[in-house]
Amino acid sequence: MAVDLEKILRPVDHPYPPYPAKYMTLASGETLVIRQATRDEVPTLLKHVAPLVFVERDYYDLVAARVYAELLGWYHYRMQDEYVLVAQIDGELAAIVNGRSVTGKQGMSLHTLAMRRGLRIGAHAFAAKMEYHIDILGQDEVLVVAESPIGFRRWMIEYQLEERFDTPHELGGVPSYALTKELFDRARSKLVVGRRPVPEDLLAKAHEAILPPSDPPTPPADLLAATRAKYDLTGTALILQRWAQDRSADDA
Amino acid sequence: MEREIFGYKCQKCGTLHYPFRMVCKNCRANGYFEFDTVPLPHAGKLLTFTFIHNLPAEFEVARLGLGIVELENGLRVTGQIQIDDPKLGMDVVGAIEVVKRDAYDNRYGFVFRAA
Amino acid sequence: MREVYIIGIGITTFTRLEYPLSEIAAYASMGALKDAGLTDVDYLVVANMGSARINSQSALASAVADTLSLTPAGAVRVENGPASGASAIKEGFMAVASGMHDTVLVAGAERMREVNSLEATDFVATLTHPMAEYIYGVTLPGHAAMFTRLYMEKYGVTERHLAMVGVKNQNNAMLNKDAHLHQPISLEGILDSPEAMTNNPWVAEPIRFFDCCPVSDGGAALILASKEVAEASGRPMIRISGIGQATDTLAVHEREEPTDLMAVRRAAEQAYAMAGIKPKDIDVAELHDAFTILEIVESEEVGFFEKGKGHIALEKGETEIGGKMPINPSGGLKGKGHPVGATGVAQVHEIVMQLRGDAGERQVKGAKNGLACNFGGFGNNVIVSTYTREG
Repeated sequence: MAVDLEKILRPVDHPYPPYPAKYMTLASGETLVIRQATRDEVPTLLKHVAPLVFVERDYYDLVAARVYAELLGWYHYRMQDEYVLVAQIDGELAAIVNGRSVTGKQGMSLHTLAMRRGLRIGAHAFAAKMEYHIDILGQDEVLVVAESPIGFRRWMIEYQLEERFDTPHELGGVPSYALTKELFDRARSKLVVGRRPVPEDLLAKAHEAILPPSDPPTPPADLLAATRAKYDLTGTALILQRWAQDRSADDA
Repeated sequence: MEREIFGYKCQKCGTLHYPFRMVCKNCRANGYFEFDTVPLPHAGKLLTFTFIHNLPAEFEVARLGLGIVELENGLRVTGQIQIDDPKLGMDVVGAIEVVKRDAYDNRYGFVFRAA
Repeated sequence: MREVYIIGIGITTFTRLEYPLSEIAAYASMGALKDAGLTDVDYLVVANMGSARINSQSALASAVADTLSLTPAGAVRVENGPASGASAIKEGFMAVASGMHDTVLVAGAERMREVNSLEATDFVATLTHPMAEYIYGVTLPGHAAMFTRLYMEKYGVTERHLAMVGVKNQNNAMLNKDAHLHQPISLEGILDSPEAMTNNPWVAEPIRFFDCCPVSDGGAALILASKEVAEASGRPMIRISGIGQATDTLAVHEREEPTDLMAVRRAAEQAYAMAGIKPKDIDVAELHDAFTILEIVESEEVGFFEKGKGHIALEKGETEIGGKMPINPSGGLKGKGHPVGATGVAQVHEIVMQLRGDAGERQVKGAKNGLACNFGGFGNNVIVSTYTREG
């Protein structure tokens, strides 16, 4: 009986082709490898995503929490046709991007989570995701939304996305935007970079282990100070601080 | 209504200014209403230009062309440009159009195109 | 006029800071007071550009004086665009030189990361001409870009020269623990590799991402004192030897020669005349490289190199820390960061470190005379100042 119920709960993935790994030189001169992660690597990824759930700035908390859930969903076979790409520098995790296929012709971008900033790693990883949907999977368009103003500005305006407001996005049910093949082709020369095949030693290093990010985003230094700021960009009103206060009240 | 951008001509020494100033740069004539307004010519040469990709919040476009133009009368102005492949020194002609929407207000200014 | 000395310096890390603006100014000030061995000053001058607009706090100087429990000392805020910092130093200088006060705390602070980058860009753009520039969408990178295009055409400056300034300064910042960017960049990564143009996209053609300074929070502070107080303090005697300031037309298009930055040239001439020194006497300089082109042009306008030859000196490595004329050993605005109101003060913080011989790995050997150029607007309000180590 239990086995039969699992059959109902577990979606059947379609046999989509894998993402061919690529590499590129970053502004720092370091080499970034972008490759598809395997389901076995999810526990390692979760370990590196978890601390970001408590970074109450730039929507890192919300995005990390959702990525955590999506990774778990994939790991426990509760999400259909999901894939995860990782960007690594010398093995170190620099970004995670994920998405899924809605149909054979339509993809859905889920998240872009950058662990190192200032080198456009998020932009490279996002472009790789779009490349996967349009070029490798041969889809016509990818549905995109953004949680953060930074993401909105970058994707919606840089790529000039089309409105698909009749289609609610799986992330919060908000109206979708779409990156079509035509728009992608127009942005391709400017935004999609990388070389293939990845030299064997680089690829081996990337597969060997997903190392922790060396300089990940951290929570605000002084939570109390942050509440006194007039604009709380994240809008989360410092959940952590409230917890801390509640705890001390319980102790008393 | 035909809109114009105005230059300011000193009544005393004839020096033309743009933008508006209250004291003449040349003769320092100091008094009220010392300037006659003169519509600026629309034709000129493109002195320099840029395409801005990171714009202030109100401009929701991917990139915006801007240039400095030396008008026929020698006065220089800053304006937006709508030219695909601008060249330094090329002939341009300006139209007065909406350059910015500011809440409910339209701001008008020069938009230059290839002559 | 009395002689004026800098006897204390303090700074916060330049980055995104999560505490209130008045405390950013106060932390740097506490460092400076401690360095000078003082618990009290006669007067405070606080440099800041955007508190009322971006942080919803006006009359910042009162808040800083109170946070530091320096009341009832007089306090004033100086807002002079990106030249606020040096303007505050000038104000403090005049207060001591005139004999009105013996000790003045000059603090600069800015908290720009409280708003997003679009709002920050718009906020800085408000210093342009409201009717003739701002409404068109002109930004500071836009001004720098139009200027760069002319400079490239006239003097043969190339994108590679601009990138070289960025690499130099961002790598200098690696030696500065208080710098915003601790991320080395390479010419390969931002100019030569097949991915370079995507790593380093246009901000305003022909200016790219790595030609621009970051948007930073941060504070810096100095203690200015009369000769008697300075001698009694036992701190190294760093004298403010010259200050010059000049303005230029608000609208950039009104300038007669569009490739000149006359305000820089005039301010530098005044400063040298007051100090009785020549450009060749300067051992170390902090120039206002909000955009890489500005370091090249300012190095010419302050007289280090002939007009149109700054990029040649750069090519030869003369502006590196070990070079003939080291520029921006701190990392400059490009690497150290640009919290607008703090910048002018932070430049002098670095000069004092250098003249005291306290700059560690980035020390310019034997520096005796230093120069700072704080560039307001797009060259419409510039202060150049010089500093001399005595003894």
